[in-house]
Amino acid sequence: MNVDLPAGTRNYTYAQDMAIFRTRTHWGLFLGLLAAMLTMPLYLGNYWLSVANLIGITIIAATGLNILTGYCGQLSIGHAGFIAVGAYTSAILTNRFELPFLVGLICAGIAAGAIGIIFGLPSMRVKGFYLAISTIAAQFIIIWVINHWNSMTGGFTGIRVPPASIGGVSFVSQASQFYLIVATTAMSVFFARNLARTKAGRAFIAIRDNDLAAEVMGINLFRYKLTAFFIGCFLAGIAGSLLAHRIGYINAENFTLMGSILYIAMIIIGGAGTTIGPIFGVIFIQMLQQGITLISPTLESIFALPAGFTAGIGPMVLGLIIVLFLILEPRGLAHRWTLFKTSCRLWPFSY
Amino acid sequence: MNLKKILKIAVAACLAFIVTTIPLLSAGCAGEPSNGDKVKVGFSICYTGVAAEKGRPMGDGILDCMKYVNEELNGVDGHQIEVIWRDNQYDAAKAGTIISELMNKGCLFFTTNSSKMMGASMEIANRAEFAGFSVFSAPALTHPPQHIYGQMPDYGDDWAAFVRYYVDNIWQGSGKPKMALHLLNNPTGYGVRDAARALADEMGIDIVAIEEHSATTISETESLTRIKSLNPDILYISSTPQPTSIIIKNAVELGMYPGITIACGHASLTSALIDLGGASAEGVYGVFPTVNWDDDVPAMAKMTEYCQNYHPDDYGNMDYITTWAEGLIVAEILRLSIENVGIDALTPQAVEEYGFKKLDNFDVGGLHGAVNYNPGDNRLSKSVRVFQIQNGEIMPISGWVEAPLIKYEDFEWFGK
Repeated sequence: MNVDLPAGTRNYTYAQDMAIFRTRTHWGLFLGLLAAMLTMPLYLGNYWLSVANLIGITIIAATGLNILTGYCGQLSIGHAGFIAVGAYTSAILTNRFELPFLVGLICAGIAAGAIGIIFGLPSMRVKGFYLAISTIAAQFIIIWVINHWNSMTGGFTGIRVPPASIGGVSFVSQASQFYLIVATTAMSVFFARNLARTKAGRAFIAIRDNDLAAEVMGINLFRYKLTAFFIGCFLAGIAGSLLAHRIGYINAENFTLMGSILYIAMIIIGGAGTTIGPIFGVIFIQMLQQGITLISPTLESIFALPAGFTAGIGPMVLGLIIVLFLILEPRGLAHRWTLFKTSCRLWPFSY
Repeated sequence: MNLKKILKIAVAACLAFIVTTIPLLSAGCAGEPSNGDKVKVGFSICYTGVAAEKGRPMGDGILDCMKYVNEELNGVDGHQIEVIWRDNQYDAAKAGTIISELMNKGCLFFTTNSSKMMGASMEIANRAEFAGFSVFSAPALTHPPQHIYGQMPDYGDDWAAFVRYYVDNIWQGSGKPKMALHLLNNPTGYGVRDAARALADEMGIDIVAIEEHSATTISETESLTRIKSLNPDILYISSTPQPTSIIIKNAVELGMYPGITIACGHASLTSALIDLGGASAEGVYGVFPTVNWDDDVPAMAKMTEYCQNYHPDDYGNMDYITTWAEGLIVAEILRLSIENVGIDALTPQAVEEYGFKKLDNFDVGGLHGAVNYNPGDNRLSKSVRVFQIQNGEIMPISGWVEAPLIKYEDFEWFGK
């Protein structure tokens, strides 16, 4: 039974069928969400805005990884390295060459995409764990180059990054950064949503499900795998650029292997191969981390625990949740969301 | 109960937790400014994570000192210090959000233990003109000077101060002594490279090799073999205790040491180095910006009492001393601010102008060198002492040696 639309709602044109917002309820919810997002700086303090900004940037990067891994099935454990390429490209262009932020932002995406293509070349020959190992190499090589290309990257010392600025408007405050990041995140998610419905998106899915069968059907594996690497890393680069301009000072320690692994955890928990999955995964993990950071001192004070004791809860809970999701719900929170929507549409009937 | 039901309950519980905590936590972050009886100060501490070896005793030290100030000194001028601390877990992304939270909560200023965590926070703080200081610092934090200060000399200063002492007191040969640097692959190590680049010629030192290692190294035999072939007079290590102990042990195995002088920066020189290095560490020199445990200085008795009462495991760890001193500086900055502008007019900007910048030869109970603010130099304390490991103990062998100010920002290679 098709439950994409409420009973009685029919599409009469392809355009209607392809639309993202297809009912008044969709539009209502969208406008409500938009209003909530636009007014968020009015009722959230700087701290929660900074968390929201971090979530937005992470969603962009996780969306990139989701295209590469979730849709196309190319496992990458070097995503933080590609984010670093974007961050440093933007930092170098805006700091050393004093180019505008928008140039830095776009070049960050292109540079990360190009580097992604280079490290994606082994995907022609290897897959699965072997590809994962080759992408770990990307993480290490990129970070090594950053640390040792002192004249350009600042090496271990790091490099300062000016605030993002467009047309004379400088995005210094958390509130102004919020609008910039939300707009970029929305564009990235919209792009990813539509990409999945294009010829390229369908090719990615075919490659993920069975690359041999896909090739037999005439899909050019070389072209589409590298396209997935480019797009996935392009978004990583965009996220890196926003991150660099947000924190204002970067060195290679901002882009760790642990970060790369966390991105995979986010798309697993959220639901790989769906547009909404990375959003759920990122929000879930970031809120979990922030929650533990905030409640740790209180818990330790109430139960007279040694300082730092409760911080260990974070990694434990995270590990447990990943294992539980892999066993019980490998399709992640996105699948639960779909079931929830379906039950809402059918309510009060159970079938 | 089947698995589906368990999963449903787990997901519902997690979502309920998230949904309910957001407004609760938001309410807790209302951002009331410091006023009335309490003054708020924020502390970003590396209690857990890969730097917990140093972060834990440092966190204990600052929280114990704040307890002492509030309970025994009745706060600052009768105003209790409201301590808002967060565990940054040595995670740069987390440090970035913590600094926003501290600002949002109305803290007057903040501190961090580590140079890395300050690096992750500093530009957000600089842009908001929210002053803070880092206990351990690197040149990039205070050059060019903005709103971030270093409590103690940075890793480059360590090197400069030690070289000054070495040339004056240890070096017996003719010509320039040949020095090899073995550096941790982060600002702890490379702060020394920058200082050497700026001052080696001026100070009469010939740098013959620069090798790097990681925090997780298990052998440095290869790099030391290369260094050995260059026949250096001194090997200077800027790292943390674990890798430093490995380098020293490898130097002993290769027959390099004893024979040459080995020295290390302050991030290495703790009791952990002696525990890990054992007999191999005997005779190694090092610099540290504080006094040693049991030295006869005014603040020692109270600090020792608190340490033994609340965190006896930290006794003997010099990192605890650094943050006890940090606590005394926090109290002094607040005292100066209240004295100069009054409790009701305290803002982060006022605290920087009338607290940080009015520090004038403040004595931290003798725990480290005098604390000063000099325009253009955001290092609050500028002195270190030279120590040597003798009979398994870290023994001071010099008085305070002042590290010269290195104007890194004047060098083209330092970057922007």
